[in-house]
Amino acid sequence: MKVHVDPERCQGHTLCAMIAPEMFELDDIDGHSSPVTEQVPAGQEARVAEAVRSCPEQAISVSGDPA
Amino acid sequence: MSAEEADRKKNLYHFDRHTPEYRHQFEAITAEMHARCPIAWSDTYGGHWVAAGAREVFELARSAEYLSNDHDVNNERRGYKGITIPTPQSMFQSGFLEMDPPEQRHYRQALNPYLSPAAVARWTPVVAELVRACLDEKIETGRIDFVDDLANVVPAVLTLALMGIPMKHWTIYCEPIHAAVYTPPDSPDMAQVRDRQIEMYRDMFAQLKAIKENPRPGLIDALARAVINGRTPPDLELLGVMTLIIGGGFDTTTALTAHALEWLGEHPDQRERLSRERETLLDSATEEFLRFYTPAPGDGRTIAADCEIAGQRFKEGERLWLSWAMANRDPSVFPGPNEIDLARTGNRHHSFGLGIHRCIGSNVARMVFKQMATAVLDRMPDYRCDPAGAVHYQTIGVIQGMRHLPATFTPGARLGAGLDETIEAMRRVCDEQWLAEPVTVRTATAEIVR
Repeated sequence: MKVHVDPERCQGHTLCAMIAPEMFELDDIDGHSSPVTEQVPAGQEARVAEAVRSCPEQAISVSGDPA
Repeated sequence: MSAEEADRKKNLYHFDRHTPEYRHQFEAITAEMHARCPIAWSDTYGGHWVAAGAREVFELARSAEYLSNDHDVNNERRGYKGITIPTPQSMFQSGFLEMDPPEQRHYRQALNPYLSPAAVARWTPVVAELVRACLDEKIETGRIDFVDDLANVVPAVLTLALMGIPMKHWTIYCEPIHAAVYTPPDSPDMAQVRDRQIEMYRDMFAQLKAIKENPRPGLIDALARAVINGRTPPDLELLGVMTLIIGGGFDTTTALTAHALEWLGEHPDQRERLSRERETLLDSATEEFLRFYTPAPGDGRTIAADCEIAGQRFKEGERLWLSWAMANRDPSVFPGPNEIDLARTGNRHHSFGLGIHRCIGSNVARMVFKQMATAVLDRMPDYRCDPAGAVHYQTIGVIQGMRHLPATFTPGARLGAGLDETIEAMRRVCDEQWLAEPVTVRTATAEIVR
């Protein structure tokens, strides 16, 4: 499973980093999010899925094998 | 009205969010609009669109190319009326919230490094001290008004500190901002509110002038140095931005905190659960209170070009109300929307707005709310609010706020100095540690030695 944050859509709501702090890092200057790694490590899938579901701008997407 | 016009506006709904009835019937009106007309045409205030559905609000708010926030107070562009419906008497532009890009983006870029999660985290120990002092003022008496004695105070003091205004000036700013929202325009009290607002603007202008002459760190310094679309903005425009920061920073967090404490007081089992499980529950509970109480219930826009969005055709120049508050109760996104679920998942609420104008102070709001709420849970765990003394704003058209929330609790021991002494101590911390600098200049968290 791969995760992607669309930088044009992200407005820095920061919910993804609250839900999956190991997976998303926030820019120091504007709080916009980016994935720590594109490949989602085993055990983080559910949190990433919850981050996708919780993004107010619907800026996060996942692709590939869900497992 | 032509047949085409009538067809475009066939979803009619008489929508008046400034009436007490709207507050009292909020859930019924919201459910009716979601079911029948998630985008409606209302005849009120010269006629305007109302977006109530989550999908509709989402699509509209993110269509920046077709929507304008511009408040063209001097009629130099297209005469658009900004974000307030109806158009206020004031000839002030509400800062960059009433601007479009690129100016709007330039302002945000200037201020972001003071308000990002990393920038705000540096202030947490200062906020904890201010909260501690507010509670210490009341802890021995067993009585507190959560609005007057806590939730009104801390956001105001911190906002001024972030701006670079002396924190002890909070009394000049706090009541005029609060009262301007809750006082009906036709009230006999309005004259006094205006007098205090004039006093506040006088201090604001003096602060701007002083910081321009002798720079000291903070948001005002960033504004004084900002180049916006190739020009240095006039003072009047900067005062509009300062007013936006103050208006956004004060009454909204106050409203969120008061409502959350009121609800927790009414649900002691949930209060104990939140206190016990705060490690896992505080974030989701904060987002849920934000969703449910939506302190800033919506924003106006002007349609900037003919377009079709979310299945609705709009014409250039038409006015639109985006209701964050109603979108937050849409059952298609939030199951059981009228229930508070402290552990709610998938809570992509709209309370900070969406798109390019999203609240720039959201990280401040969350941090200050969490500090106030957890300190009350720790130090006044058995508080009981007095429903007879609780005063909600009569209308929720501008802010869904509270004027008073008195409570009683088992008295406890003070932990430190009172508020005035603490504000002076925090002034020294801010000055000596240059806390009001942007995160690009200073990254260390405040250190407080007591």
